Amino acid sequence: MSILATKDTHVVIQGGVAGVNAARRMAEFRYMNKQPLNVSAFVYPPDSGKTNEIVCGTELVAIPIYKTVADATAAHPEINTSLVYIGANRAYEGTMDALNDSKIKTVSMITEGVPEKDAKLLGKHARKLGKTFNGPSSIGVVSAGECRLGVIGGAFDNLVACKLYRPGSFGVITKSGGLSNEIIWICSQFADGITTAIGIGGDAYPGTDYVSYLEMFENDPQTHAVVVVGEMGGDLEESAAEWYGAKKRRIKLLAVVSGFCQESLPKGMKFGHAGAKEGLKGEGSARAKSEALKKAGAIVPETFGALGPAIKATHEELLKSGTVKPIPDLAPAAVPRLPKTVAEAKKDGEVLVAPLIRSTISDDRGEEPLYQGYPASELINAGYDIPHVIGLLWDNRLVSKQEAEIIKRILMLSADHGPCVSGAMATVLAACAGIGLSQSVAAGMIMIGPRFGGAVTDAGNWFKYAIDNKLTVDDFLVYMKKNVGPVPGIGHRVKSLKNPDKRVKELVGHVKSLGIKTPHLDFALAVEQVTAAKKDNLILNVDGTMAAVLVDIGFPVDSLNGFFILARTIGIIGHWTDQKRQGSRLIRLFDYLVNYASPKRRAVPPLK
Amino acid sequence: MAKVLEGPGMGLLRKWGISTPNYVVVTSNEEFEQLSKVNDWLQKNKLVVKAHEALGSRFKLGLVKVGLDLAAAKSAVKEMLGKQLESVTIREVIVSEAIGHKEEYYASVKSTREGVDVMVTTYGGVEVEDNWEKVQKLAIEIGETPTDAQLAKLSKDAGFSGDTATKMADFLKKLYTCFDNEDAQYVEINPVVQNAGGDLVALDAVTLLDGDAKFRHKDWTFPFAAEFGRAYTANEEEVMAVDAKVKGSVKLIEIPGGNIAMLPAGGGASVYYSDAVVARGGKLANYAEYSGDPPDWAVEVLTEKICSLPDIKHIIVGGAIANFTDVKKTFGGIINAFRKAKGEGKLKGVKIWVRRGGPNELQGLAAMRALEDEGFDIHVFDRTTPLTDIVDMAMAAQ
Repeated sequence: MSILATKDTHVVIQGGVAGVNAARRMAEFRYMNKQPLNVSAFVYPPDSGKTNEIVCGTELVAIPIYKTVADATAAHPEINTSLVYIGANRAYEGTMDALNDSKIKTVSMITEGVPEKDAKLLGKHARKLGKTFNGPSSIGVVSAGECRLGVIGGAFDNLVACKLYRPGSFGVITKSGGLSNEIIWICSQFADGITTAIGIGGDAYPGTDYVSYLEMFENDPQTHAVVVVGEMGGDLEESAAEWYGAKKRRIKLLAVVSGFCQESLPKGMKFGHAGAKEGLKGEGSARAKSEALKKAGAIVPETFGALGPAIKATHEELLKSGTVKPIPDLAPAAVPRLPKTVAEAKKDGEVLVAPLIRSTISDDRGEEPLYQGYPASELINAGYDIPHVIGLLWDNRLVSKQEAEIIKRILMLSADHGPCVSGAMATVLAACAGIGLSQSVAAGMIMIGPRFGGAVTDAGNWFKYAIDNKLTVDDFLVYMKKNVGPVPGIGHRVKSLKNPDKRVKELVGHVKSLGIKTPHLDFALAVEQVTAAKKDNLILNVDGTMAAVLVDIGFPVDSLNGFFILARTIGIIGHWTDQKRQGSRLIRLFDYLVNYASPKRRAVPPLK
Repeated sequence: MAKVLEGPGMGLLRKWGISTPNYVVVTSNEEFEQLSKVNDWLQKNKLVVKAHEALGSRFKLGLVKVGLDLAAAKSAVKEMLGKQLESVTIREVIVSEAIGHKEEYYASVKSTREGVDVMVTTYGGVEVEDNWEKVQKLAIEIGETPTDAQLAKLSKDAGFSGDTATKMADFLKKLYTCFDNEDAQYVEINPVVQNAGGDLVALDAVTLLDGDAKFRHKDWTFPFAAEFGRAYTANEEEVMAVDAKVKGSVKLIEIPGGNIAMLPAGGGASVYYSDAVVARGGKLANYAEYSGDPPDWAVEVLTEKICSLPDIKHIIVGGAIANFTDVKKTFGGIINAFRKAKGEGKLKGVKIWVRRGGPNELQGLAAMRALEDEGFDIHVFDRTTPLTDIVDMAMAAQ
C-alpha cells in the first residue's frame, strides 16, 4: 500500500522536453518493478498528433501527444493523474485544464517560479473539487514498488540503492527535492525504506499541506512512521504539530526544521526556498516550529545529522513491538538492473558484436583520425604532404619523396581543363541553374567515364596486362584490336604529333629524369610510336601517361581513375564558385545549336 | 519576494488611485535643480529628503531629513548623493512634499496561505508596534474581493468614524485593488494621514511584489531591491545576472566577517548546512546554493566568488543526493574555479570539505578527490557520510 501515487495511477504529462525526460525516468522505475509504463499520454499542443518514444527496458514505446487534457483523457480513460511540466507563465491555465477534467484526481506540478497568486488559486480550486494539487516546484511523488511521479529518486542506481523496488514502513514529506532523496536514502539504510515520499515544493504557498498527507499516511496500513523535513516560514509545521497532538495517532512522526541559522544572521537576511521566510513578527521560526512539533509528541532530532539514528531507533522499536517484520535483502542476482546498451555492454566486455563493415585504412575513435595508424597531426608536423595521405589511404603505404613528387605533378596537371570539357560544363550548367555545390560537383563527376577522364584505370589495366604477359607492342595491338577495341590512353580529340600535349611531355620528361625503372611508361611510349605512325592523333594522351606512370610506381590499377577524379574536383569546385561569385543566371542552348531532326508538326490521331 | 523602493512603490499606489505626496527621485544635483524650477510644489512646501537605497535605519544614519525648504533640500541632496556607507554608495535620493497632519493611521494588505489579510488601525506611525493587538483584520479568501460593506465595517471596527470611516473604507478598497492587480505580497502604508482637505494620503509605503509574476507586468521597469537592509554587492549582482540567464539556479549572499564559506547544492540542504555551521559555533561567510542542474559555467562563476571571500578557513561543498543535477558536470565547474583560484594564489590554508550524491556521483567525487594530488587540502565524502558531518569535521579541524 501507499498513498497518492499507486499501482493504479495512470498519468498524462503536460509539457515538452522536461516532461519526456520525466517519462523516461518513470519508465525506468516501472521497469525496475517489472510493471508496464504508466504514462498514457502527453499534452503538448505544438507536437499534438505525434508520439514521444519512451525507452521501457529493452523496448521503445510510442506515447501519443494530444492538444488538450480533454483529448488525452477521452482517448485514455484510465488517466487519473496529471504531471505539469509547463513554463511558469502558462502553468496556471494548463493546471486548471487538468483540475477541471473529471477523470483527473491528482495534479502534481514541477514548474518553478509560478506566481503565488496563481498557486493559491489553483490550491483553492483543487480543494473545492476535492482533488489534490501538489506543488508548484514539486520534485514529485514516489511510492516504493508501485509508482513514481516525476524524477524524484534520481538515477536508476539510486532507486535500487534506496530499495525503491519494494515498500518499507516510512512515509516522507519534504519541501526540498534534494532532501526528499536524501531521506529516502536514509530510510533505506537506517530502517526498512519508504512507502511513499512526497515533495510538496518549496514555494511559500504549496497547493497541499503536511496535514492532508499525514491523514493519508495515518490511513495507510503499510506506513508506520512519517518523516517530515520542514523549513522556517509559513505555518505548515505548526498545523502538522497541531494535528499530531490532537489525538492518539497510529503513525509515529519524526521531524526536523531548517532555519536555525536565521537567529544569528543580520535581520531580514533569508536563505533557501521562496517559502522559507519568517513572518514579519517573527512567527514561523525554525525554533518555534521545532518546539510545537516536540510538544505534540513528535520526535525532533536536534540536527539533520541526528535524523538517521532517530529513524533507526524508531524502526527498531517497530520491530521490537512486532508492528513490522524485518525485510530480507535481495540476493545480489535478484537486484534489478537496467538493460545495458550495446555500447555499455561492449565497454564492459560482455557482448560480441559481428561487425558490419571492415576498414583497413583509418580509425576515427581517438582524439584525431589515424591514417594507417599515423595521427594526422603528427604526419603534418613531420613534413608529410597530401600525396603521402593519398598513398596511405589508397594503397596502405607511405610513398617515397620521389613518388610523392610524381603524384603532386599528376594532380597539378589534371586539376582543370577549362569550362568546355564535359565535367566542367555540367558543373557550370548546374551552377547557373542555382544548384548547390555538392550536387553541382556531383553533376560534373557523373561525366567522368569511358570518354572523359575515366580511361586511366582501363589504360593502366591493359598496359599492365601487356607487361605481365611480356607482350610485344605488335602482339599487344593485335590482341587489343581483336578483343578490346581502341587502346585506352591512346588518342586525342584535338592533340596530335604535330600539336603535342604539353602536359604529357612535362610528365614524361620529369619521370624519365629520375632514372627509375618505368617499364609501363616505356611500353606505352613504344605503343604510341606505332599508333601515331598510322594516324597523327593516335598519341599517348594524358590519361594513358598517368596510368603508365602510376602503375610504374606501384599504385593498384583500381585506384587510378581516382587520381583524375581527385585532381579534377579541384577545378570543378573552382568552376562552381566562379559562377556563384558572378551571380550567373540560368542558361540554355540556343535552338540554332540544335539540329531538329524530329518529325514536323502533324495531326494527333484519335486515342485507340 | 521582491522589495520595491519607495519611488516605484509610490508610483504603483498612484496608479491605483491612492493619493501620495508629490515626489521626485533624483540622481544628480543638476537634475534636482532643473526639477525645482518646474515643480511649484518644490518651491511652496516643506520638503522631506531621503536616501533612495535599500538601507535599513535610514533615520539613524542621517539619511532622512524633514521640514526643509528648497534651499535646505538642495544641500541635503548634495550631501547625500555619492555618500559611501560600507559597501553602498547612495545613487538616488527621493525628495517629497511634507504633508501637515494631526493623526497617523496604519493600513496594510498581506498575502496569507488562504488569501489576503487587510489590516487597519487608527494607531499609526510609531504607535503601531505597541498597539498591535488593536489592529483590525479582514481575511479575504483567494479569488474573492472584499465587499464595500466588509470594508466599511472593518474601518468602523478599527475606530474610524464619520466621513473618515467612509474615506478609509475607500482607501482600503483601492489598496486591495492595487495589491491584487500588482501581484503584491505585502503592502504597508504607515502612516496614512489626512491632508488639509481631509483626504487620506499615503506618506510612506513598504511594497513587496512577487518577482515570479514579472512576466505579466510590463510596467515593472524598476529594479528590485535587497530585503536585508543593504544594497546587493557587486558579486551578488553578478551571480544574480547569471541566475537570470540559466536553467536551474545559482544564488549568493555575502555575510561580512564570517570565515566558513558555503557552497552547498539545493535550496533545502543549503539551509541545513548553514544551520549546522551556526549550531557548531561557526561564522558563515556567505549563503550560497545551486540547484536544478545548472550549467557548469554558472556553478564556476559562483565558486569563483566564494573563493574570493576574504579570510575564509573552510569551504563546505555539501549536498544531498541529487535527483537530476549532474554531480560530475556541476563539480566540473567547481573544480575549474578552484584551480583558477589556486593559480591566483587564493585558497592558501583553506580546507575544502565535500559530500554529495546523485547522477554520476562516482565520477564527480573521484574528480574532487584527484584535487588532492594537485595540492588542495580537500576532504571528499560520499552518500554514506551523513549530510552535515563534513561541517562537524571542519569545525573540529579548526
